[in-house]
Amino acid sequence: MPVTNVISEIKKDFIYNHLLKGERVDGRTFDQYREISIERDVIRKAEGSALVKLGSSQVLVGVKMQPGEPFQDSPSRGVIITNAELVPLASPSFEPGPPNEMGIELARLVDRGVRESKAIDLEALCIVPGKQVWIVFIDVHILDDCGNILDAAALGAIAALMSTKVPASRFGLGEDYILPIRDIPIATTTIEFNDVLMLDPGVDEEAIANTRLTIITTANGNICGAQKSGTGMLKPEQVYRIIDIACEKAKEIREKFLEA
Amino acid sequence: MDESDISFFKDGLRLDGRRADQLRPIKIEVGVLARADGSCYIEMGGNKVIAAVYGPREVHPRHLQEITRAIVRYRYNMASFSVEERKRPGPDRRSHELSKVSREALEPVILTSFFPRSVIDVFVEVLQADAGTRTAGINAAAVALADAGIPMKSMISSCAAGKVEDTIVLDPMKEEDNFGQADLPIAMTPNGDITLMQMDGNLTPDEFHGAVEMAMKGARDIYELQRKALVDKYSKMVEKTGQEEVHACD
Amino acid sequence: MDRKVVVPGDLLSEDAKRSGEGTYVRNGSVYSLLYGLANFRDKINVIPLAGKYVPGPGDNVIGVVKDITFSNWIVDINSPYDGLLHISEFPKRIESDEMSKHLRIGSSIMTRVTDVDPTMKVELTLNDRKLGQIKAGQVIEISHTRVPRLIGKGGSMISMLKKEVNCNIFVGQNGRIWINGGAEDMDLALKTITLIEKEAHTNGLTDRVVDFLKMEKGARS
Repeated sequence: MPVTNVISEIKKDFIYNHLLKGERVDGRTFDQYREISIERDVIRKAEGSALVKLGSSQVLVGVKMQPGEPFQDSPSRGVIITNAELVPLASPSFEPGPPNEMGIELARLVDRGVRESKAIDLEALCIVPGKQVWIVFIDVHILDDCGNILDAAALGAIAALMSTKVPASRFGLGEDYILPIRDIPIATTTIEFNDVLMLDPGVDEEAIANTRLTIITTANGNICGAQKSGTGMLKPEQVYRIIDIACEKAKEIREKFLEA
Repeated sequence: MDESDISFFKDGLRLDGRRADQLRPIKIEVGVLARADGSCYIEMGGNKVIAAVYGPREVHPRHLQEITRAIVRYRYNMASFSVEERKRPGPDRRSHELSKVSREALEPVILTSFFPRSVIDVFVEVLQADAGTRTAGINAAAVALADAGIPMKSMISSCAAGKVEDTIVLDPMKEEDNFGQADLPIAMTPNGDITLMQMDGNLTPDEFHGAVEMAMKGARDIYELQRKALVDKYSKMVEKTGQEEVHACD
Repeated sequence: MDRKVVVPGDLLSEDAKRSGEGTYVRNGSVYSLLYGLANFRDKINVIPLAGKYVPGPGDNVIGVVKDITFSNWIVDINSPYDGLLHISEFPKRIESDEMSKHLRIGSSIMTRVTDVDPTMKVELTLNDRKLGQIKAGQVIEISHTRVPRLIGKGGSMISMLKKEVNCNIFVGQNGRIWINGGAEDMDLALKTITLIEKEAHTNGLTDRVVDFLKMEKGARS
């Protein structure tokens, strides 16, 4: 069963009445992102890591690397493997056990951003063509789900990758070096509810809206990933509006937090 | 192989002779499975996909029941022989994701509140894959749902647009999907309400716009074919009984 | 009568007042909810070609006991929802421990839906002389969407059929039909019902059924 946060009718009405007045329950404007903080290198054992706080949502991303076999169809390219754990500590609606479809979708979207933006130079991760390449494990650990953990996870992934050192010396492959990063993909999510578009939904807003669209942009303002999620519908005009919002907001986030 | 090694156009046409805005040939058959409550077989280019609908029926396990509505389950599954290199049987992460977004593409039009505490199961089997299996699956599933008598606000039609050699193309085939620059599948109602949107690759905002418009045009054409397939099934039923009537009078 | 095959979402009318069964209204216009046949009268109704039986109060149905609890028989009624037959709805007073003596798992019953609550709890009764356990004859199953045709306008088709084939027939709204009579008569009833099911969507059905019966009977005598 899809994991949902049960929300009372009264709370729904409360949020909805705010919307009618052009307000959000936490006082934000519709296109306002919550406060972001990124702390890097929080896990010494990881090759790279980042703790992202998005409002009260908290996501920890760790990057581990090790040599391994390349895929047959790309013998001289490194491998990216992305996983996400929605551990029960993060929300009363998360359950222990193998990843459910929500966790899988989240991991695949984080992966899509990194892969499709070509942020990691995979050719540079070849050790012996056809035999040995670097495998980059991106592991997303959701710690506190107060809404929009996807954007936080994607942000954590690129932040962690940007602080990743390739552990070459540990495997007798020369000196450690900084993982070369070529792009900075940023995911932004907007939800739609009764024709209102709201950027960066909080957990209660997520519970009332059943349509969201995530747009992942690259540093040059192009789009490298998109995903509509949830059981509602979007008009094309709404899609285009969301893209405008996403491009603008991603640029801001990129400049403020990652290009320093 | 790199995308720069391949040329996707010859004399302004694509490798399979299509124009940039042209769909691959499509064949849709309704009611192809006897046991299912509704079913549909579709061919879109080299894709061969079959969809079955069971239900509304009792939910097992019971704790999945919703008191006020039917739940919808969608299982996208690729046959191990459907692709060049044998696919390990069973669901992988990709099929989990596709199942989720495909279900969400159809659920907005299904009147689930008509059937509290029940489940509507949609099973989609990809028998032969040739880029665009999720869109083919959704197209077949929508027809199968109608065939099963499930109340829906409208049909759902699905189509992808892609980008190759900096050109937006409709309904990418395998080569264009593998070596192209972007893929953008959508699903929508005939009204243009979008119920599925995914994208990977690289598009400028303007290209994104163009790709959405093109995919929507493709979906509209597919809708006409879905509709025709359903109407044709009925006409065949009438013809068949007509023949039997003659037989009965012999 | 104007009839047309429609699919879900087809525009049927721009007059919201004409919205009938199997349709819905959006922005003042009437659309089809179903794949089926739209009948255009004052109201527009869409008759589906397929679909599951959803019980409603007052429906006569044929069920099969599938489980017995402390005070209820759980009855399969060919629907996503089971029916509950409470011990107090049995025609005579019995004790809880003798329930399985009267109706066992697998017993077929002619029953009636008394109540359906919003969570689709379906309550049944046997408290009517027409209702009760099925001990003779046979039960056949057709699509419940064809039942209205089998019954006919004001019951015309079914009463004609009962008379012509000389059988007892109980039509369950859930598509299960009980027939009881002489072997040959039951056979003819079965054939006729099959014909009605197959041609339920065609015009002039009653005439064809009359012809069919005449012919079959002629062949027999």
